[in-house]
Amino acid sequence: MNSPVTIWRDHKNLHNYLNKIGRVIVWTKILVPPTGFEHEAPYLVGIIQFSRERRPLQIVDCDEKDLKLNQKVITVIRKIGKAKSEDVIEYGVKVKPI
Amino acid sequence: MNKIIKVAGTGLTKFGELWNQSLYDLAKEASLEAIRESGLTINQIEATFVANMIHGKLSGQDHLGALVASSLGLKGASFRIEGACASGGLAVHLAIQSLLAGTYKNVLVVGVEKMTDVPTADIATALMGAGSEIERKAGLTFPALYALMAKAHMQKYGTTRKHMANVSIKNHYHASLNEKAQFPYEVTMEKVLESPIISTPFTLFDASPISDGAAAVVLSSQMRSFASSSVEDGGKGVYITGSAVATDTVDLASRKSLLEIAATKDASQKALKQAGVEIKDIKVAEVHDCFTIAEILAMEDLGFCSKGRGGEFVEKGTTKLGGRMPVNTSGGLKACGHPVAATGIKQIIEVTHQLQKRAGKRQVMGANIGLTHNVGGTGGTVVVHILQS
Repeated sequence: MNSPVTIWRDHKNLHNYLNKIGRVIVWTKILVPPTGFEHEAPYLVGIIQFSRERRPLQIVDCDEKDLKLNQKVITVIRKIGKAKSEDVIEYGVKVKPI
Repeated sequence: MNKIIKVAGTGLTKFGELWNQSLYDLAKEASLEAIRESGLTINQIEATFVANMIHGKLSGQDHLGALVASSLGLKGASFRIEGACASGGLAVHLAIQSLLAGTYKNVLVVGVEKMTDVPTADIATALMGAGSEIERKAGLTFPALYALMAKAHMQKYGTTRKHMANVSIKNHYHASLNEKAQFPYEVTMEKVLESPIISTPFTLFDASPISDGAAAVVLSSQMRSFASSSVEDGGKGVYITGSAVATDTVDLASRKSLLEIAATKDASQKALKQAGVEIKDIKVAEVHDCFTIAEILAMEDLGFCSKGRGGEFVEKGTTKLGGRMPVNTSGGLKACGHPVAATGIKQIIEVTHQLQKRAGKRQVMGANIGLTHNVGGTGGTVVVHILQS
């Protein structure tokens, strides 16, 4: 996971990415996760097309069976990975269907 | 580039879970074999190029250029080169530049990786160092990134799971003929499709394995002087006549298209032009099949078949031994194994052996021009080499 100062710096920019509406152009369900994401597996990650850019983001509050191509989604703030008891909790941008 | 850069010697360890050998044992075994085969003495090797991606991250040990060189008794210049899974190809490219510049005449290039000493999740995390920060924060892994490319290809061109499984089946067949391969056995369509899912649509058998291993080549300049162009050696040697690197964004989502690896096109066109040959002249190729879709993309992006037809191209048997254009006769990354920084150099060795007619049961008849294709990340770095006998 990132250092506390890196998390502090990144958190200052989070508001720039909130309430953005995009659409899912492709997605995958990850069953073998990297370190720090074990508790979330399986989880969905998609490439999201926004008006000016594409970003890879986790898709939350959604079952894969309900997801469809070009699904409209909105950005939300959620925890990133799992912090240990004395770590700074990192938040980041994910998307949920609308 | 004329016949200036000669592959003077090759050395390759077994690939696999090699728990009784350290990184240094592996590097030494491959390097000494390559030097012995070159007919040179240790003192004639003027520089060592060591390709390695993740040893520092896994073990805490960096400074590998000097460590590997000194373990061989080499005292000349030494360098460590990192370019994700293209580290080996990059090291060969840089070694060639040093020879073309006339700085050295004989150099050792060794790629080595020790990956099976740590848990799989740690390797997945370490390998994601080759991805972007935004990809890591999304919880992506390399199987997942290539799975996204596979799904985009399926959506656009109708590529199927069976098309991709055919890559795995073909490369396992080739590996069954290669005693150095990590998985020297064949697999069936059912085995590939029914193995555990790692990231949809990929199953375990769509992915290259975690491997230990080392590969080394001695490269020699055949220049008589800086102004000379080439020398003849009776047609016995194998020469690298094209060597090119191309770069793209590290972040997959920022690319213009998810349906291709644009850097493959750029690097291959440059390398072919340097060699003065066309893609139709290539008789054998080792391409970067880290995942099954990657070989399908490589077939299209290198120009062996048209865009969107890579799945059918493999399905027809064109790329199998005995087919018109054998690809990954070593077994590829999928079945020969993928000790990441060794891969680009192993590809050079396989094609060299094919052109020297010493590939045994895997020999491609009439092979005189070959290509290697080594990819870092999802295509942020691509290295292509052309070899000729």
